[in-house]
Amino acid sequence: MQRRKFLTLGAVAAAATVLPVGLSATDFRATNASAWEAPSSKEAIEALFGKGAMIEGKIEIKAPKLAENGGAVPIGIKSDIELTTVAVFQDANPRSAVVVFELYGNKIDLMTKIKMKKTAEVTIVAKGADGKLYKTAQKVEVSIGGCGG
Amino acid sequence: MKVKATLKGDSAEVKIMAESLMAGKEEAAAKKLPAEEYITHITAKLNGKTVWEASTGPFLSKDPYFKFDINGAKAGDEIVVDSVDNKGKKDTGTAKIK
Repeated sequence: MQRRKFLTLGAVAAAATVLPVGLSATDFRATNASAWEAPSSKEAIEALFGKGAMIEGKIEIKAPKLAENGGAVPIGIKSDIELTTVAVFQDANPRSAVVVFELYGNKIDLMTKIKMKKTAEVTIVAKGADGKLYKTAQKVEVSIGGCGG
Repeated sequence: MKVKATLKGDSAEVKIMAESLMAGKEEAAAKKLPAEEYITHITAKLNGKTVWEASTGPFLSKDPYFKFDINGAKAGDEIVVDSVDNKGKKDTGTAKIK
C-alpha cells in the first residue's frame, strides 16, 4: 500500500509539471528553446509553463507606470509564498521571454532591468513549491524605446 | 562583472552587474554589430552550493542587473557568480558577504 501511494503521488506530481524538476542547474534556453522564440507572452508562457490555471494576486510586481528610458526598466518581484521558478515576459519586443529565475527556497525579493521598445504589458509567471502556477501583470508606458531598433 | 553581498538579518542581499551588450538579432542589425551578443545563463553559488540561477535573453538591459536574497547566509560566506553568453564566453565574479 505504501508503495502504491508513493507511485500515485509521483504520477500526480509528474502530471502537474511542465518544467524540468531537480536540484541541478537548469538552462531553460536549452530545455525550452522554442519558448524563447515565441513572439507573444501568451505563447511564451504556454511553452514554459503549460496551459494550467494560474492564481492571481499572490505575487507583487514593482514596475514604473511610466518608464522614461525603455533601455533599462526596473522590474521588482516580491512574494510571501515559496516559489521555485519565476519568469518575466513582455509584449514590447520581438520575442516575449526575458528571464527565468530559479530560487532554491530563498525569500522572493528580486529586481532586474529589462528593455522595452514600446508601451506594453509585463507579465510575471511563477511556479510555487506547492506545484501551483501564479501570475501577475502590469502595463508599463515607455516614452523612449530601448531596443536599439 | 561586479558582485556585492550584504547581510540583512539571516539573509544576504546579492547585487550583480554583469557585462554584456545583451543584443539580440534585431539590435545587432540596427547597431551594425558583427553578431548577436547576450548572456544566456548566470548561476550564483554560496560556499559552493547553487542558490540562484537565471536563464537569460537579449531583452534584459545592457550590462544586466540582478538583485536577490539568499537565506541562511553568514558574514564572511563567499558568493561566486558565473555567467556564460551565446558564444560560450564565460565570466566570473566573487564577493564575501559583509
